[in-house]
Amino acid sequence: MKGRSIVPGKCTGPALVSTKPLSFLGGVDHNSGVIIEKGHDLKGESVKGKVLCFPYGHGSTVGSYVLYSLVKKGVGPIAIVNQVADLVVVVGAIIAEIPMIDQIDIRQIKTGDEVEVDGTRGTVKVGGQR
Amino acid sequence: MHLTRQEEKMLDGEYGWANQVSMKILVRLGELFGATHLIPVQSAHLSGVSYKHMGDASIDFLTALAEGGGKAQTLSTLNPSSFDPTYLPKRYHRERLEKQSRIIDLYTRMGINSTLSCTPYYLRKPGHDQHLAWAESSAVIYANSILGAWTNREGSPSALAAALIGKTPNYGMHQAANRQPNVLVKVETSLQNEAEYGALGIHLGKILKDRVPVIKGLHSPSTDNLKQLGAGMASSGMTALFHHKTRSEKEKLETISIETKDIKEVAAGLCTTNEAPDLVFIGCPHCSLKEVKNVAGLLEGKKVRKDRELWVCTSRHVKERAKNYVDIIERAGGHLLCDTCALVTWIKDLGVQALMTNSAKTAFYAPTLNEVDVALTPLNKCIEAACR
Repeated sequence: MKGRSIVPGKCTGPALVSTKPLSFLGGVDHNSGVIIEKGHDLKGESVKGKVLCFPYGHGSTVGSYVLYSLVKKGVGPIAIVNQVADLVVVVGAIIAEIPMIDQIDIRQIKTGDEVEVDGTRGTVKVGGQR
Repeated sequence: MHLTRQEEKMLDGEYGWANQVSMKILVRLGELFGATHLIPVQSAHLSGVSYKHMGDASIDFLTALAEGGGKAQTLSTLNPSSFDPTYLPKRYHRERLEKQSRIIDLYTRMGINSTLSCTPYYLRKPGHDQHLAWAESSAVIYANSILGAWTNREGSPSALAAALIGKTPNYGMHQAANRQPNVLVKVETSLQNEAEYGALGIHLGKILKDRVPVIKGLHSPSTDNLKQLGAGMASSGMTALFHHKTRSEKEKLETISIETKDIKEVAAGLCTTNEAPDLVFIGCPHCSLKEVKNVAGLLEGKKVRKDRELWVCTSRHVKERAKNYVDIIERAGGHLLCDTCALVTWIKDLGVQALMTNSAKTAFYAPTLNEVDVALTPLNKCIEAACR
């Protein structure tokens, strides 16, 4: 799939996919990387080592710092794939230095799929289930 | 985006990590939102200060920036923190104060002034047509709409990046074409007080999306009332600018009419309780000198009840100019608090269940941010309730 490059860089890992927007501030525990947002379909899942796919971010811009902190502690996602990039997630991915692309139909990706993200070219390759 | 040679070098890391990461943020946002280049800003105002809101995660990034050589390149100010200097430190666990002090220290290490107020325009009023990079949505809309300055609604990191570089990408509100009104709001009712101005703001914010309104039918509103209107709009929506001075439109704009019942409905909808308040809070956004004077006038000769608290929040700058009024408020048993407000501190931990305020912005946020019930009512009723 071809989307838009937001933050360059390449990586491969298992996808964690949500149909709901995500707020990093208050939505993800900054020590463990576990999603704690009330009513979220990924509540209880860890973002650690995942290619995190969700439609878009919402909530406070302080959320960017949470993404940075997660990645620096080694419990953050390895890449982000969005439908629509919003300011909070874009800045978070820039400062955390993880690849990010948007304008991807994330419904075509399933949790557990092995995904190759090329943030420089703006592409996502979906392999099979691991 | 066109970058100067020096900007290119910063982006490549020749000026250290803090400048590099700041430049990456500004350039990427500029590219995504259609900027052509970076422009200098006269000042930056940063949100993301209160420890209650920021939590521990933010400290990691601020530490890295400060250690990475970050230094403010333009006049830079800070939003309120979770503490005032004297009253609240006695009421929470020490660890919170230490964490809060650490956040403020990191900012000041980078040359950012610890003004700790959401009304930086009372400290230094930006000039007409000056370009700024401000976060804090109520200050952004005030600067654009009432002072005629030009700023986007920055987030915490983008305002910080602009402070460290001294520039911002020239998209959005920095382009004259984007500042033209594209919807007409006709207020066909006479707004009675600041709470009603704020309620109108909450109502408009919800329906305007990213449009720029021209609001007609306000009868020579005070800047304090316009501050409440703007704060309301920016809380419930994404509005960064409104026009309010009557002017003739060349083209016919889509029109939204506001009637008395709209204001009453919104104001009623913002109230979640009829119970007597534990805390009466004035000063969201932080009080102007005139507003502190008004509170003092209403409190003269009265006493705040023993089982209620009255907080009047403002900046240190205004407090210093309001000495006589501060004395009256404190003699009556009220607390004049600087550097903080009820939204950014842990009022629930102080035993507050019901909050009364004249600020629609506070009424909009407090039930979720502070998990308390709220009553929205004008200043004179607030003071009555505090003393009754």
